[in-house]
Amino acid sequence: MHYFDHSATTPLHLKVKELMDEVGGLHFGNPSSIHASGQKAKTLIETARGQMAKAIGCNSNEVIFTGGGSEANNLVLWDLIHHEKKHVVTSVIEHPAVLNVLDSLDEFGVSYTAVAVDKTGMVNPIDVQKAITAETGLISIMLANNEMGTIQPIANIAAISKDHGIMMHTDAVQALGKIPIDARKLGVDCMSFSAHKFYGPKGVGALFMRKGLQLKPLIIGGSQERSLRAGTENTPGIAGLGLAAELAVKNITATQSHLDSLADAFQNQIIKACPDAVINGHPEKNLPGLINISFPGFRSDLLMIHLDRKGVAVSSGSACSSGDIKPSSILSAMGIADDINICTLRISFGTKNNMDDVEYLTQALTSSMEQIRSAT
Amino acid sequence: MSERIIVGMSGGVDSAVAALLLKEQGFDVECIFMKNWEEDSESCTAEEDYKDALLVCDHLGLKLHTVNFSKEYKQNVFDHFLKEYAAGRTPNPDTLCNKEIKFNVFLHYALELGAGRIATGHYARIEKNNGTIQLRKGIDKNKDQSYFLFMLNQQQLEKTIFPIGAMSKKDVRTLAKEKGLPNYDRKDSTGVCFIGERNFTEFLHQYFKPDPGDMVTVDGKTVSKHDGLMFYTLGQRQGLGIGGGHGEKEEPWYVVDKNLENNQLIVAQGHDHPGLFHSQLTVEDLHWVANEVPSVRKLTAKIRYRQKDQLCSFELNNDSADVYFVEPQFAVTPGQAAVFYDGDNCLGGGTIEKRN
Repeated sequence: MHYFDHSATTPLHLKVKELMDEVGGLHFGNPSSIHASGQKAKTLIETARGQMAKAIGCNSNEVIFTGGGSEANNLVLWDLIHHEKKHVVTSVIEHPAVLNVLDSLDEFGVSYTAVAVDKTGMVNPIDVQKAITAETGLISIMLANNEMGTIQPIANIAAISKDHGIMMHTDAVQALGKIPIDARKLGVDCMSFSAHKFYGPKGVGALFMRKGLQLKPLIIGGSQERSLRAGTENTPGIAGLGLAAELAVKNITATQSHLDSLADAFQNQIIKACPDAVINGHPEKNLPGLINISFPGFRSDLLMIHLDRKGVAVSSGSACSSGDIKPSSILSAMGIADDINICTLRISFGTKNNMDDVEYLTQALTSSMEQIRSAT
Repeated sequence: MSERIIVGMSGGVDSAVAALLLKEQGFDVECIFMKNWEEDSESCTAEEDYKDALLVCDHLGLKLHTVNFSKEYKQNVFDHFLKEYAAGRTPNPDTLCNKEIKFNVFLHYALELGAGRIATGHYARIEKNNGTIQLRKGIDKNKDQSYFLFMLNQQQLEKTIFPIGAMSKKDVRTLAKEKGLPNYDRKDSTGVCFIGERNFTEFLHQYFKPDPGDMVTVDGKTVSKHDGLMFYTLGQRQGLGIGGGHGEKEEPWYVVDKNLENNQLIVAQGHDHPGLFHSQLTVEDLHWVANEVPSVRKLTAKIRYRQKDQLCSFELNNDSADVYFVEPQFAVTPGQAAVFYDGDNCLGGGTIEKRN
């Protein structure tokens, strides 16, 4: 299989897989148990917490493990029901794990303003500032968008939030391992992560929570994760997340240039083969290896089927809406017309991809377009 | 390379066996799951159906694609369905779905994807006879679905395979079990696809406001109230709520007619009430499968799915026809299809416009 859908999910890093096998098989003790087996498990979890903290530039006691990125977002957003100020400033291009949560919070008196983006998919900090009201209790803007890869000016927005004394959250699920993340430099109060986006396991995530910040748990029970997330810890998953985070930032410069070379080569090849193609998003401030590209006249559902036959995995719009030729709301928000919108693919390269893969992808795309053209 | 066949895979056992048979016959088989209805969370079974389709295709080693034709379904099938109900008729969305979605949008989509033909799990057969393609009843008389397919034309039939048309449902299930298909014992779907197992009247209530009026006997005596004419079907017996004391006999009440002008539901007592029977009706939007008016010695028709064949004759006027039955027919229902047969050859049909 030729896999170019790393923004949807990534394969496990081999070292992560080995570690998880070992932890699952040998260190199965309950981390809350005081015997040696439990202690070992607890040690593994705390090691992972240290690895994660180091990867994002914070202290270990500022990392809470969750059951994924969506849960991390929910932990922050649901806390609003206890706040006096229940208005949220967010953006129109947030993931459903933010926007749908906010919609659900409506019945608890939470309201929100979603600021627009420009045609490159960028939020303007001035718009965020303008959207702040006396009732605003939270700003939540993603660090990088999942469909476009546009990297948002989070440090600027966090500075605005600080000026107003408003809590600031960023969904950084797409960013870790692709761009350097420093929690202090960003200046946010909390930040969500998901292990399977950076070659870790599915079903594990983390929330960075600035020291001093108080949140209420969603899952109540035992005192795990400082009583913020009850339930016996997923030791193999958490250990896997820790190592994956460490590996993801270790060679980040090399990873970036690897992904950039693949993306550049692909863009050159595809524009030569298909001059009509349009690359969407921001020319510079975007995630390495992520290309959002429209092929006017070629509906993405058809392209996807043809590519799937050739063993090529890409995505149309966001992965959640496959099989559906509804225009992507994110592309619509960027002002892209519906007829181009539904002809758009997201190609996201990973570290295991190489130039042969890029060539295969270009070939597969051009021959798919030929096949579609000849069938109609 | 062998011919590519794209199978409309519903998640049910019939389309699964259709795909299995084609694969065994050496065709290049791919499957498409059609999503024709946007979930309204409550009891839409699309997610469940998709899961079964996925398991079947995984078992058979076939590619599965998903397409969403809900926009087309809404425009070409559902809006018409609502319009008919609003006009006091009882439409048949399944015949229209076959015409507009499965054998139109889906067929074209499949051809676009390089398919030579499409296949579905319908119980019907396609036979070539002197250059004409005939639509024939399925061998399983209990399951025959030709009634729902009478709107197909020569071009559509030429591009279609019904792999299980010559099998009985029992044999289909046996084969499915033998081949280890994961859905071999899944229960048959009933009712209109987008309503599923939901209560039909409740579903209609989502789209129509109550419009109460009188329930009146054929003799003009008011016996009760109705909630709105669209919530009733001719021949309906249950749910009329006519209390005791109105009838002279102990027999049940039936809906005999709708008077749209006065918003009256006309009812009568007893299954054999003459008001419930008509031997003459008019069909409109006539369609002939072979694209020519048939001349048949022993013409029969069905005015509802699974009805026994009824001897009849017809008189053509342009796009409509008057149909004369040998035996009076119970609850002839405008909006439903009248489908003509010559033995097991499905000739075509039309929509019942009125009874005479």
